[in-house]
Amino acid sequence: MASGVAVSDASVKAYEEIKNGKNHRFAIFKIIDNKIDVEHVGSRDASYDDFLEHLKAGDGKQCRYGVYDYEYTYQHQGTESVAQKHKLFLMLWCPDTASVPNKMIYASSYEALKQSLVGIQKYIQANDTEEASQESVEEILRSTDRR
Amino acid sequence: MSSGGMLYGGDEIGALVFDPGHHSLRVGYAQEDTPKAEIPAVVGEETISGALDLETKPTNNISSNTKHYIDTTFLNVPRSNMEIQTYMKDGMIDNWDLFEKVLNYTYARVVSSKSEYHPVLFSEASWNVRTNRERLTELMFEKYNVPAFFVVKNAVLAAFANGRATALVVDSGATHTSAVPVHEGYVLTQAVVKSPLGGDYLSLQCRQYLESQGIDLTPVYAVASKDVIRERDNPRFQPRILPDKLTNSWQQYMLKGLLQDFQMSTVQVLETPYDERTASQIPSVHYEFPTGYHQEFGCERFKLAESLFDHTMLGAGQLASTSVGMCDADVRLSLYGSVVVTGGNTLLQGFPERLNRDLSHRAPSNTRLKMISANGSVERRFGAWIGGSILASIGTFQQMWISAQEYEEGGKSQVERKCP
Repeated sequence: MASGVAVSDASVKAYEEIKNGKNHRFAIFKIIDNKIDVEHVGSRDASYDDFLEHLKAGDGKQCRYGVYDYEYTYQHQGTESVAQKHKLFLMLWCPDTASVPNKMIYASSYEALKQSLVGIQKYIQANDTEEASQESVEEILRSTDRR
Repeated sequence: MSSGGMLYGGDEIGALVFDPGHHSLRVGYAQEDTPKAEIPAVVGEETISGALDLETKPTNNISSNTKHYIDTTFLNVPRSNMEIQTYMKDGMIDNWDLFEKVLNYTYARVVSSKSEYHPVLFSEASWNVRTNRERLTELMFEKYNVPAFFVVKNAVLAAFANGRATALVVDSGATHTSAVPVHEGYVLTQAVVKSPLGGDYLSLQCRQYLESQGIDLTPVYAVASKDVIRERDNPRFQPRILPDKLTNSWQQYMLKGLLQDFQMSTVQVLETPYDERTASQIPSVHYEFPTGYHQEFGCERFKLAESLFDHTMLGAGQLASTSVGMCDADVRLSLYGSVVVTGGNTLLQGFPERLNRDLSHRAPSNTRLKMISANGSVERRFGAWIGGSILASIGTFQQMWISAQEYEEGGKSQVERKCP
């Protein structure tokens, strides 16, 4: 199910710059004039808190999408080797406190963004602060690693 | 609708949204906050023997020897030989002749405009079958000449309206309760679970209980006047003079209205399985019947609601956990994390809380369980309609509709292609 809302070229470009160029850490997307467009890009040394700050720019009243190049260390079981992992996740941020029309538009347009951004490893749906937190996101990203 | 008026290009579309259910058909213009009308999902059919009575007032529809009565103001009048029939069956439109009569009425009285001017968006049950969807598509294009048509699963609308692409939608309505997993915007049809325990079942329980107590369930239409009496005194009322040959189906329909009012005002769900001691500590509720009889209801009002939960196979909590269990292991956590509670029957006080408790006992430990239920009764009853209203008013949604031209070229099977 999709709403017909399109994804701007700039959004795809910003994503490619994260994925291939490693030029940014994250990007925040907003629906403007019936198009999913880039609202903000975070520099490579930006933190997860910076991401949250921009994701929540709507102050609990507006939804957003966010893509993030997440890095974490991962220890193989039974060995000393520690690996550095990269995972790209795409987040649908629809705070429960947002208006119904706003939630409806973001939830129904999510499909279009997913189809435009190729190579995302995890899709994360977050509706409150806890679900968007670093701990909960990292748990989801690690859940598919071999243990 | 404060956020982003820019997003809507809907003013010129004037699309209509229909949300058919067993209790009622919700209909209204897209972009409005609530449906314009809620029409009972039944039609009164009166058979006229012999010549047409010219004295009778003009009604909605006259065809040969039967007259049809639609909508509350026409249905609730006692008439001889008027049978009440529903056009819904198992969440789907079943009697198409009757449904057409309701559509005719809707365009004439509710919309007051020609059908060819308005695109139409319908909601449907998640288990709707292909032949049914195609038939509806055909009907709207062929008979009503709509310029565009679309049909969406009501569970998807409910999930989206709550800001979720993935959710377990627990919908408790008049005739059934269902648990529908929606994953990334699509219904996982193989894991849909439903039971016949809904509002009507509860009404039946209420009726059996009240009758066993010897309470007179004469509905308001049969009462001309009543005396004020003391609590639990025998009612004293003057019966109204009624036309003869009132049908059984009509009387049952009116009785159901009384029972629904009773259950909505008194019945309540306990957060934990029924226990006399807990129930007796909660204040009782006073209810007056149309006959004037009145009394306080205490523990019974909790016991009655128990039938919706205390069932090994079909209780609401069991239904939800069975549905989740039928989905892939990797989506189960996200489903438990977004349980959307919707439908008129969930307005029973305490319904979401009890579902939460029952589910938390069934879900694997350390599962993060989250219930989402709209606070307002309007949002809970019209959840799917409101979702459809917003969707149909998004400017870009115009390209998603099945247009009349596409229908001309591709026929009714377009619905399978364009509406997932």
